[in-house]
Amino acid sequence: MSVLARSVGNAFRNKIRTAAIVAVLAVAIGLALAMLVANQAVAAKVQELNASVGTVLTVNPAGGQGFEGGGEPLTQEQAATAAAVPNVASVVGTKALRLGTETATTSGTNAGRTPPTGPGGGGPGGQSAAAATTSLQAAIDAGTLGNRNGAGGTGTNTGTTGTQTAPAFSLPITATGIGAEVDSTGKALTIIDGTGLGDYSATTGKALLGTTLAEKNGLTVGSTFTINSQAFTVAGTFDSGTAFGNNALYLSLADAQHLAALPGELSSMIVTVDSMENVESTKTALENALGTDKADVTQGQRNLETAASSLNSVKGISLIAFVAALATAGIIILLIMVMLVRERRREIGVLKAIGARNRTIGLQFVLEALVLVALGSTVGAAVASFASGGIASALISSNSATAAAATPRGAGMGGGFPGGAQGGPFSGTTQLLTSVSANASPPVIAAGIAAVFGVAIIGALVPALLTARIRPIEVLRGE
Amino acid sequence: MIVVKDLVRQFKSGDRTIKPVNRVSFGLERGTLASIVGKSGSGKSTLLSLLGALDKPTSGDVVVDGMSLAGLPDGKLTEYRRRDIGFVFQQFNLIPNLSAVDNVMLPIEFAGVRKVARRQRAGELLEQVQLSQDKHGRRVNRLSGGEQQRVAIARALANEPKLILADEPTGNLDEQTGEHIVELLKSLSRDHNTTILVVPHDRGLANKTDRRFRLQQGRLSEETVRGGVRETSLDSEGVPAQAGTAASVGGCAG
Repeated sequence: MSVLARSVGNAFRNKIRTAAIVAVLAVAIGLALAMLVANQAVAAKVQELNASVGTVLTVNPAGGQGFEGGGEPLTQEQAATAAAVPNVASVVGTKALRLGTETATTSGTNAGRTPPTGPGGGGPGGQSAAAATTSLQAAIDAGTLGNRNGAGGTGTNTGTTGTQTAPAFSLPITATGIGAEVDSTGKALTIIDGTGLGDYSATTGKALLGTTLAEKNGLTVGSTFTINSQAFTVAGTFDSGTAFGNNALYLSLADAQHLAALPGELSSMIVTVDSMENVESTKTALENALGTDKADVTQGQRNLETAASSLNSVKGISLIAFVAALATAGIIILLIMVMLVRERRREIGVLKAIGARNRTIGLQFVLEALVLVALGSTVGAAVASFASGGIASALISSNSATAAAATPRGAGMGGGFPGGAQGGPFSGTTQLLTSVSANASPPVIAAGIAAVFGVAIIGALVPALLTARIRPIEVLRGE
Repeated sequence: MIVVKDLVRQFKSGDRTIKPVNRVSFGLERGTLASIVGKSGSGKSTLLSLLGALDKPTSGDVVVDGMSLAGLPDGKLTEYRRRDIGFVFQQFNLIPNLSAVDNVMLPIEFAGVRKVARRQRAGELLEQVQLSQDKHGRRVNRLSGGEQQRVAIARALANEPKLILADEPTGNLDEQTGEHIVELLKSLSRDHNTTILVVPHDRGLANKTDRRFRLQQGRLSEETVRGGVRETSLDSEGVPAQAGTAASVGGCAG
């Protein structure tokens, strides 16, 4: 019988006690693994959020927030001023256009209500969006919210008759003139088909279409459509990741300004700061340089930053809990093995009397501890696979509630105006937080079990070393 | 050759100092079957523990084939026990959750013998001590006292030691098995040149040994029979005593 076989046999010497030990170990190990899984899931989410928070500031015309409107439009000169502010890496101007379909605008029943502004505009960008018509059809139905907002848009249906039922509202299409190949939040465009526009500061007569918009209108790369009767060629298609985001198109900044007949005017500016640390100071510097009566500078994804910070605390808590549960498992092993060594002092003395080396006896006890830990880990891994999702959700929901409460409503809505959407692009922060998927992946579980075994070896080594101090005669003196 | 030189083992018990082994000296040639008799508590087991390096003497030395045990580190003493000593304990001291054959295999395993060879050797030894084949794989805590004693004897023989120290090896055996074990011990000493020191539970076994020692209050004397007269002589030099030189035994130092 080998040392290992003897260790396995000893582990099962008292089956009821072994079951109790395994149960206690399984709880500690299961908790440790669940915390590790939650920690890894949250860490991945934090990384994702940090990547999205980025270093982008958005500059909108002052007074463009909410539904009030007013203020002065931004200009190319202001963009140059912003570019001169320290720590500003780049400034990209945008010009937003609200495109109504030609059929809808020529319809008598809808006359005067397209393009709608105000309600359903979706944000400050809406206030500075110029209206235009296009041959394109919107790819998305306006839906209840879109129709409600559209009906309240201009009030033309409350005309002299006063009884006319409002016809279905056609959702406007977002057209954004951009000074670089980025979307209205500063993120690089994901071009699925075709190419970019080339020179974004010149008139190109080309456009990038959202995939759903292109599909709805049967357009592919090389196809043409019109805006204000001017022909544009589809240079490529992009995917923004959302259905409403894909009901949009991008033009070069110069083309958008030309279509709006407002050369040199900007709807917003996307300012990229050189590092996360400088975002706050650059925001203040931009406000000072542009004037708070002229421009609003917003850290568009600040709520995400808050969320990331909240998740970071969850990450910290779960890491501490993992270490604590791991230490608990180690202490349990230590105490159990101390108990077993004390209980088997006579047996240890006999083994020494017949020539067993200290290391052989120590190894036997360490292996016995590992057998118990292996059993505890098996049950613990099963516990973790069921519990990790719930534990992660419980940790995150308690923290995301705080984060959501701290999130200013409507903050960072600049640039987008699809009226059918409820809220701005960051209204789903809570969903983003709670979308953390704490799946017990095999590598994470394996890493956790490796850590448990490491701690168990340390926990078992102390009692194993104690066996070296047992002198055979001390335990055999009772002879 | 085993030479015991002026061996002393003393313990403190409150204010008193007890010397269960007090200036004991004797020598045993290889292949000798010897016995130690004495009253309960006279120090017989302590003396066996000192000879088997389970305990360290307060003073004095044990020299086995020229190797002095005094001052040897624990690792070397373990090696000495594994290689040169076979113990038969009064209480057997078998590992209760292991089978008879696994118990016998333990010292062979500690000596680094491969599994197949050690299993074969353990089986042969159990046959030698007349433990029936069907009980080789049975847990020792399910064996009778006599059967456990035979397993303990087989374990002591496992590594063919130079010195076997046996504390009442036939105490739990029936007369017939006891006789067989005595014959086995005699053949080991005779044929394998193994030195055997037994603490017999009765006078019968002591009378069958080559040399008989008496331990009384920590002092050792040797009994010899000359012309039908039993004589006891104290020998502090480890040399067989001469007839008519009987001396008194030493007392316990207080």
